Amino acid sequence: MSLTQNLSSDGSTFTIQIDGKFDFNLVQDFRAAYQQVGTNKPKLVVDLRNTEYMDSSALGMLLNMQKNLGDTVSSITISNCRPQIKKILQISRFDKKFIID
Amino acid sequence: MRILVVDDQELNRIMLKYMLELEGYQVFHAEHGKHALETFKETQPDIILLDVIMPVMDGFETAPILKDLAGDLHLPIIFITSLDDQDSMLRCLEVGGDDFLTKPFDKVLLSAKIKAHARTRELSKRLLEQRNELKYYQNQTQREHAIIEHIFSNAFSKNAYLDEIVSYHLSPASMFNGDLFLANRSPLGGTYLFLGDFTGHGLAAAVGALPTAQTFFNKTNEGLIVGDIAKEINAQLLNLLPDDMFCAATIIELSNSGKAISIWSGGMPEVFIIDDRTGLRQTLMPQHMALGILEDDEFETEMVNCDVTPHDRLLIFTDGVTETMDPQEVMFGEDRLAEYYQAHPKAELFELIAHLDDYRGSSEQADDISIAQLKCLPATDNISQPNIPIPLLPWKIQLKLLPQDIRNTDPVAQVIDMIASFQGMEKHRSTLFLLLAEMYNNSVDHGLLGLDSKLKDAEDGFFEYYIERQNVLERLDEGFLELDICHLPNQHQIRLSITDSGKGFDCERLNQILNQKDQHGRGLKLISELADKLEYKNQGKTIEVHYSLV
Repeated sequence: MSLTQNLSSDGSTFTIQIDGKFDFNLVQDFRAAYQQVGTNKPKLVVDLRNTEYMDSSALGMLLNMQKNLGDTVSSITISNCRPQIKKILQISRFDKKFIID
Repeated sequence: MRILVVDDQELNRIMLKYMLELEGYQVFHAEHGKHALETFKETQPDIILLDVIMPVMDGFETAPILKDLAGDLHLPIIFITSLDDQDSMLRCLEVGGDDFLTKPFDKVLLSAKIKAHARTRELSKRLLEQRNELKYYQNQTQREHAIIEHIFSNAFSKNAYLDEIVSYHLSPASMFNGDLFLANRSPLGGTYLFLGDFTGHGLAAAVGALPTAQTFFNKTNEGLIVGDIAKEINAQLLNLLPDDMFCAATIIELSNSGKAISIWSGGMPEVFIIDDRTGLRQTLMPQHMALGILEDDEFETEMVNCDVTPHDRLLIFTDGVTETMDPQEVMFGEDRLAEYYQAHPKAELFELIAHLDDYRGSSEQADDISIAQLKCLPATDNISQPNIPIPLLPWKIQLKLLPQDIRNTDPVAQVIDMIASFQGMEKHRSTLFLLLAEMYNNSVDHGLLGLDSKLKDAEDGFFEYYIERQNVLERLDEGFLELDICHLPNQHQIRLSITDSGKGFDCERLNQILNQKDQHGRGLKLISELADKLEYKNQGKTIEVHYSLV
């Protein structure tokens, strides 16, 4: 399973974790995952601790998600990036649109 | 039973020997004390019949030496005497005699006395055997304790953490702790803590500590989330431990930036978040059952996530802390702990320990007391990947892919796995993947499938684009891609090129794409940022990228 979602036990954080490859093969799973954030306006975390690869389609999917969710979430954080993944996000200026932890 | 008769008169020796041999004893004799001592080792007597007055060495002198030789085993000494005056009898007892036999010998009395002393000798033998056995077990236990201590110190010695972030205190109630504290860094620079409390103390608890530590270090080195680490340890303990043993535990991860924590906690007291300006800010209640109880499919990995600031620190403790009793047997309790931090928001761990010691006063420590403190600060060191030199070996990978290969395989990931297996390439893996994936996707989407990125502009277009791509790819029955990747050691460069069998395009368009600000073309922009050179050749059918390894 390369994509898992998880609502924290206090309901305040919705985490989507992507393992291995983050690219367009996940386009449906990823959309299905973030559509389950619910109505409690949780904080959304995209946990990339185990993401080895990502390409521009993943960047597109993240932007799409942001557009789609609007203010149904309180914030979107991209967390636990490996150095090379962080570099890709920085080059793409994603730090202006997302919280990158 | 072996009996030694010590008497200078031959007649006595012969009579006693005769009488005792009739009773079935093995009889040896000596002519005087010195002779008895000299032959003691050889004869190994169980009972001594000892005359009082003898030449060379008399009975009074011989008796204590014989007792010495017998060591811890009781050696009954019966004095043979014709004297019936009280003084010499008293002296016989003083020098270690156990009984008297008076001359002339009475057969019935002799037999009865020997039997009685044979019994005490037997008892003493059995006692000594049991004592030796006990000593053996005691040695074994001590050795086991030493082993456990060794195991524990090894488990702890793997602990890795930054001193300015993590501190802890373990104070076992018995020789071995049922409490286990583990700490490790994550591959991303964050910090993991584990504080566990096994049922019981000593060996029973130590049995679980080893697999727990092993799993913790393995999984934290992989950078798993704490919920998944808990699940792994749970499965291990469930497998290993008897049903009545389990481990209450709190597992925490602090992110590299020090801004976020996630917690999995089962069966432990709450975790305190303490603000160094105001004291207790939040308590995080345990969510789950202890580790080692639930089956794998029942296990819950849900965590609590929390945003934290550099003012915050986390206090994780076992129940020994709040259950500390004062001399009147009143428990310290969570409220007093909260009050303490309200009054001393900046208190360091050692100050809290001193406060607890004060509270306990003269009463005994009843349970293990373990506390760990985690300051929510960013990691100050940089986690860097090891710099493994790349050998000066030129290599080249070439592939020709037909439509069914493109449909059915994942060539980019496989080629990257191949490249990453070359020494020193691991650290370039993600970037090379991105470069090759962008090139490949462009060549497939636009060269072979003729898709138009403008599709992505429509509402929900992004999603539809990939559905469309799927459909067109299903129908594709002609065309090919040629991948060509080579390492140029002298230039410290990897060159990647992909040629498609499509129509190609006006290479000038590349510049336009790179200057666009919309969603598509993002891939090419990324390539141009990460690579040294991006070039379209061969009327746009070939894309070539130069990537520098230094």
